[in-house]
Amino acid sequence: MSERDPTTEYTLWRSPEELNGSAAGNLREFADGAWRPPGWANRREFLALVGASAALAGLTGCSDRPDEEKIVPYVRQPEQVVPGNPLMFATAMPLGGYGRGVLVESHEGRPTKVEGNPDHPSSPGGGSDVFMQASILQLYDPDRSKSVTRAGQPSHWGAFASELRRRIDAKRAAGGAGIAILTGIVTSPSLGARINEVRRLFPKATWHQYEPSARVNTAAGAVAAFGRAVNTVYQFERAKVIVSLDADFLSDDPLSVRYARHFANARRVRRGRTDASRLYVAESTLSLAGSMADRRIPVRPAVVERVAWKLASLVGVANAPGEEPTGDAEVEGFVAAAAADLRKNPGACVVVAGEAQPPAVHALAHAINQQLGSVGKTVVYTEPVEVRPDDVTASLKELVASMEAGRVDVLLILGGNPAHASPGDVAFKAALERMTTARDTSGELAHFTAHLGLYDDETSYLCQWHVPEAHYLETWGDVRAPDGTASVIQPLISPLFGGRSAGEVLAVLTAQGDISPYEAVRDHWRRQATGGDFEQWWATALRRGTIEGTAAKPVQVAPAKLPAKTALIVALGTVDVVIRLDWAVWDGSFANLTWMQELPRPFTKLVWDNAALMSPRTAGRLNVNDGDVVKLTAGEVTVEAPAMILPGLPDETITVHLGYGRTRAGSVATAGAGEWGRRGFDAYPLRRGSSPWHTAGANVTKTGATWRLVTTRNHHAMEALRGLEHGRVTEERLKPDVVASPDDDVETKNRQLVRVVSLSRFAKDPNAVKELGGEAGRRVKLSLYPDSWDYSQGPQWGMSIDLQTCIGCNACVIACQAENNIATVGKQEVSRQREMHWIRIDSYFAGGVDRPSVYHQPVPCMHCENAPCEYVCPTGATTHSTQGLNEMTYNRCIGTRYCSNNCPYKVRRFNFFAFGYESSKGSTQLQKNPEVTVRTRGVMEKCSYCVQRINRTRIEVEKTVVELTEQARLAANDDERKRLNGQADARRFAVYEGLRTACEQACPTAAIVFGDIREPRSQVSMLKAQPHDYTLLDELTTRPRTSYLARFTNATGDGGEGAA
Amino acid sequence: MPETVGVHIPPVMESGHTYASVTDHIDGIVLRRRWTWVWLAAFGFTFALVMLLTTAIGWLIVRGIGVWGVDIPVAWGFAIINFVWWIGIGHAGTFISAMLLLMRQDWRTSINRFAEAMTLFAVACAGLFPLLHLGRIKFFYWLVPYPNTMWLWPQFRSALVWDVFAVSTYGLVSLIFWYVGLIPDLATLRDRATGRRRRVIYGILAMGWRGASRHWTRYQTAYLLLAGLAAPLVISVHSIVGMDFASAQLPGWHTTIFPPYFVAGAIFSGFAMVLSLAIPMRAAFGLQGFITIRHLDNCAKLMLVNGLIVAYGYLAEAYMGWYSGNAYESYVNLNRMHGPYAPAYWVMMTCNVLVPQLLWFKWVRRNVPTLFLLAFLVNVGMWTERYVIIITSLHRDFLPSSWGMYYPTFWDLATLVGTIGLFLCFFLLFCRFLPVISIFEMRELVHSTAGGTRPPPTMEPKHAH
Amino acid sequence: MPTDVSAHPSAAPADLFGLAAEFASPEALLAAARRVRAAGYTRAEAYSPFPIEGLSHALGFARSRVAMIVLFGAFIGAVGAFGMQWYANVLSYTWDIGGKPPNSWPAFIPITFELAVLGAAVAAVLGMLALNGLPEPYHPMFNLPQFGLASRDRFFLCVEASDPKFDLAEARQLLQDLAPVSVGEVLK
Repeated sequence: MSERDPTTEYTLWRSPEELNGSAAGNLREFADGAWRPPGWANRREFLALVGASAALAGLTGCSDRPDEEKIVPYVRQPEQVVPGNPLMFATAMPLGGYGRGVLVESHEGRPTKVEGNPDHPSSPGGGSDVFMQASILQLYDPDRSKSVTRAGQPSHWGAFASELRRRIDAKRAAGGAGIAILTGIVTSPSLGARINEVRRLFPKATWHQYEPSARVNTAAGAVAAFGRAVNTVYQFERAKVIVSLDADFLSDDPLSVRYARHFANARRVRRGRTDASRLYVAESTLSLAGSMADRRIPVRPAVVERVAWKLASLVGVANAPGEEPTGDAEVEGFVAAAAADLRKNPGACVVVAGEAQPPAVHALAHAINQQLGSVGKTVVYTEPVEVRPDDVTASLKELVASMEAGRVDVLLILGGNPAHASPGDVAFKAALERMTTARDTSGELAHFTAHLGLYDDETSYLCQWHVPEAHYLETWGDVRAPDGTASVIQPLISPLFGGRSAGEVLAVLTAQGDISPYEAVRDHWRRQATGGDFEQWWATALRRGTIEGTAAKPVQVAPAKLPAKTALIVALGTVDVVIRLDWAVWDGSFANLTWMQELPRPFTKLVWDNAALMSPRTAGRLNVNDGDVVKLTAGEVTVEAPAMILPGLPDETITVHLGYGRTRAGSVATAGAGEWGRRGFDAYPLRRGSSPWHTAGANVTKTGATWRLVTTRNHHAMEALRGLEHGRVTEERLKPDVVASPDDDVETKNRQLVRVVSLSRFAKDPNAVKELGGEAGRRVKLSLYPDSWDYSQGPQWGMSIDLQTCIGCNACVIACQAENNIATVGKQEVSRQREMHWIRIDSYFAGGVDRPSVYHQPVPCMHCENAPCEYVCPTGATTHSTQGLNEMTYNRCIGTRYCSNNCPYKVRRFNFFAFGYESSKGSTQLQKNPEVTVRTRGVMEKCSYCVQRINRTRIEVEKTVVELTEQARLAANDDERKRLNGQADARRFAVYEGLRTACEQACPTAAIVFGDIREPRSQVSMLKAQPHDYTLLDELTTRPRTSYLARFTNATGDGGEGAA
Repeated sequence: MPETVGVHIPPVMESGHTYASVTDHIDGIVLRRRWTWVWLAAFGFTFALVMLLTTAIGWLIVRGIGVWGVDIPVAWGFAIINFVWWIGIGHAGTFISAMLLLMRQDWRTSINRFAEAMTLFAVACAGLFPLLHLGRIKFFYWLVPYPNTMWLWPQFRSALVWDVFAVSTYGLVSLIFWYVGLIPDLATLRDRATGRRRRVIYGILAMGWRGASRHWTRYQTAYLLLAGLAAPLVISVHSIVGMDFASAQLPGWHTTIFPPYFVAGAIFSGFAMVLSLAIPMRAAFGLQGFITIRHLDNCAKLMLVNGLIVAYGYLAEAYMGWYSGNAYESYVNLNRMHGPYAPAYWVMMTCNVLVPQLLWFKWVRRNVPTLFLLAFLVNVGMWTERYVIIITSLHRDFLPSSWGMYYPTFWDLATLVGTIGLFLCFFLLFCRFLPVISIFEMRELVHSTAGGTRPPPTMEPKHAH
Repeated sequence: MPTDVSAHPSAAPADLFGLAAEFASPEALLAAARRVRAAGYTRAEAYSPFPIEGLSHALGFARSRVAMIVLFGAFIGAVGAFGMQWYANVLSYTWDIGGKPPNSWPAFIPITFELAVLGAAVAAVLGMLALNGLPEPYHPMFNLPQFGLASRDRFFLCVEASDPKFDLAEARQLLQDLAPVSVGEVLK
């Protein structure tokens, strides 16, 4: 494939750097590894990787210290490696400094898949998010930096270490003055200890933390309210009423996976169980939480504070001044309803302030929660979990100040990419460049700057030294979850590209250069471990993936102090720029992963770009359409961005996502030539250190240029539905003049596809959902043929998807991609509607364009019993299994594509080109799941219900069951026989219930349930027996095995008293 | 019948011809006519198009089906449109030879030969596409039942497999029919050819035909039976092509009207193509004496009739869409009329429904240039019809979330234009090397008209007494 | 001229195939054919540039068996086709295809029909050629110089020497009486 690799792109995107003549640009003649196209491991390297990974087989530990470093498999897995049987290892993934518990699947020592660790507080039930799922691809990313470089020239660790040692020895006398260490947020106990050790040795050395995703407002809010740093953890499971003040606790929170699970648990509707919790959301953008809201108002960011004040006064927060009316009836109504509901459920409610809101709002939220007695029930305050809770922006500003003042001589940037990710009003990049390129009298480089990072990126480009960082799956370490629970990070594979951990770099400063990360972590915990057998304690910690008793201690807090009241200022004629982390590339650290670039973002379904999202009205005022480039001006900063229309956003606010506009990020993320080479715009310059998530008083103008935005949503779904429902012709593009009127009845509009019923109506009439589709009581046989196939034997597979709890987070999409070796096709091919995802999330908008309701609907293959795709295939390449699977035989497919034409759900994907091979370059091939074929050019593919997992389980069952039934046959007496048969049955049931598809396993809310629909005890059968279970396009009598549970509206307005 | 209807009807052949004169005139085109630069230029041009076709196919095989505009949801594009279009055109020849023979239409005599040739070439072009549009062309033979170690068979419930049998049968039978018709004329060429090489070649092809009376009797029985077989075959083939769509459950495809109205459409476009070829050909080879206004007039009438059936098909589709009350069905129709592909729909309506109404007027039917233009428009219209049926049905089906668009690429167009070139190239060669009109049947015609008595129903001895 | 007239009044040369008369019109040929037949000749054949009603009958040709062969071909095609599909789906390799039964006979009809037509058509042509003894590259008639016109505008009647009743002189006389354009001996 190497001739297909974008070597040319590589040089293309490098050249502007060299042409712009920046001093830093001149530092490096040839980039490290420029002699070899990126993304391609040559034969030796590839074999080396395989060898290194193979060395792990049989738990012999990392290849360099095979006998010393034992990694321990997850407790629920067989003890020894059986070739072909993957092992699961528990470890933890640091993201933005906080730990997420993961289980990693390893095939003969080769990690291939990441799942959530059900025993970890951050991922109850084993749910996960896109970042956990995609981190496995990052491990194998061929664009990761592969060697230590000095001024761009290949160097080696030894040279770096001695140079560093020389530099700091010079500082030793001065107590380390001039040494500055910049890290991300540190929660790692062992790394914290190491840093403190450094600061003990060099008292004058400074340690700074910066994290683009840091929750500065939340922290500041706690300080403002309680006068001290406090960590807040919510218990959504216990809340009947939730009020979110611009908080997207379902996706934009270190604990979002756990929150999503708990939130969903309180939302599930079942026969006779209609007391779902009610969610009020007032937000300045459209978030996943907003899409789940029972009542939602989009407001400009500053208005949220008014809402908070009003709420406070209405729920009777002591000395909260009576709020004057905002003059906005909608806001008034929202607050009144929310307040009433809150008062009705004291102690069983929670008000969540979003990180995007200023500290004042957080303080108010704390006050309200205290007032309603939620503290200790739905809200828990704990000690902060960071080693040193910092205001990271201040910390970074401090560093920049001292850099500019020339007070920094040795700068170690351990992780992160601050040169790209620093706020627009913090001149870190310039300061760093000046510092790096400064030369002393003798013409030597005056200062020492080093960057430890996964990629040779914008920051390393401006540093003298670059050291490859070890991926979390490659090295030892530890990290705390946002609730304080610590986990040991155990590597699944030895460093592929010789990466080092931050601890290893600091070990040079503490003159412990030879200590291995393994030793470092063990030593730290040996000191912590109280008594007992440490080895056993250690093994348990590794096996469970968490360290017992490390959760942060709850703290009692004083009554929250109310903030000073500020007047609502919205400069007329200006827009608010709302800044968020990207749904997929996050702060930019996932930007080089094709999976993430090609992940259709929630709501917009945008891929390979970010955009300036705006409401239809704002777009109408600016007279822009999707892809028109607009100029965003905030103060002296100006950014050009493609506009995109998204209904549900507040008018006159522009939502932008971070993480794009990379200039040095590898062949995937860095912009290339032509309209297909574009990779979004950099939104960081719009960011203000003082308010990282909201820049007020911006101006937006249309430039006249256009930008080819690519989405997988080729038509506005809401309009489409209207077109179908009312037999009316629909427009290609959403324009204010063709949108639904707000009073349109959601229920009738969506009855065909997404069924939405008010909870109150459902409580009265459980058949309401079936009636919507008109199949209630329909018993017509529409086929000429007799039912010819018996699905009553053996397990019969089926799936149930609960629209009430699907939050549209995309975890299932990436999980499926990782599990089933699904190819990415690139921006241009997506624009030609050739994306390959086996499961997609359809977003439907209903209601008015200003206040639409949004519904998420995951659509995998329906595995119809009367599959329309099967009888049209001329070669019998797609057939039905006796277990009810609609199976695709790739080898028999000649690619007539008739099956796709005849699939009413359009879930089939076709390899128009050799996508499978073109998209798995070099080391990424190591990620491939060995149990799944990589599809060749010209064949059709689709969701298989993870048939490889089914078969592995079935074999497992058959082995044990055969064994037991054999014993039963030979049993002495009937009782014995009965007992053994019972045992066999129980075993069969247990193992089959344990079977989970990739999407089901990844789903943070357990909205997807898969299993044996013939087995009445199975969870899926119970769900399919629910009165609100329905199948998509039921009237076609395809008899799908995948069915849906309806979505419910539960606002006080529609009489739903679910929360009462 | 002309003789009985009246005096205004022009004859099927200008008067004054003898057995010798018809023979000499027609075989003269093959045996004694010189190469004209017009023919060479035309051949050169069409051959260039064939080269374009081979390039397009080469690139397709090297790079993959993705070079075309097909996508999800519109997984069928130009390839299938062209296939249906060509196979439709391929229907006129056999229809003329078979149907009109059975119905004793003696005016068919002077056009059936080249119409059949046209059929063969059209089928040849059509036959390319089902293979080319495969994702893995190299495995096309999996569509055919053949013994293999895996005991695998084609999936006989698939309309695509029906297609394979229908189209190949049709191609084969048309070829046989055409060749059998040629045998006596090949004998004529053998006897009349001067050069030895030609005598040998035509001699071999003529298989020693010598016009013995017993041979003629069996020959006519066989020919009549072939006609009797070919007639239902014509109907069945395009019905099955229609079932490629009707047997799917896609709104806009899943329609019982498809088989009949596909057949009508096929004959419609077939006659349009016959006219588009006959009009220049009769001028080029001075055949006005044999292909008279009478023929053009009759073809035009048949176009009108089939055009009306097609129009009825459109009407029925729209009506059923509304009458069914099915949201998807009615939406498909509305989307065709007003959606992004509305222009295609209205082009189709204009060319296939409005324009043919001109054929009600005799002066239009008998004005050669007008008729030629009209026939051309109908060809365009029928191509557009397939575009509408395939693209607009696919691009917006059940789930709005998976709606999409279809944009053809350069290679799509190259393949279409290339097959047109291939078709014309074949036809030019045919004109040069084979009698474009059935000589022996023309002699028969001379016999019947000159002799005053029309030949009674074909000779079956058992009828004799 | 033969020497011994007593033994055989007019003995034909050994290499004589027959005696052929050339006519200018189909009517003349038809009349001639009837006369020759009436005269008791059984082995005579007429050659014409296009089929002439009643000619072969006039020469005593009973009936063509082509029709039966065609019927047989159609039968083979139909039974073979349905049999193949039934065998493939019911006996050889049974699949659950879209929930349809193995013997989805309605879906098997189109191919059955097509192959029936194919069988019939092939049978018709092969049958016709076989019965006509074609291809037959050599035939004595081609030795007759003017026979080339048989594919243009001349009509020939040949009384063959193998006819039991054949006598060269009588035959010549008979043909001469029919006012042909010419009469000539056809040699093997």
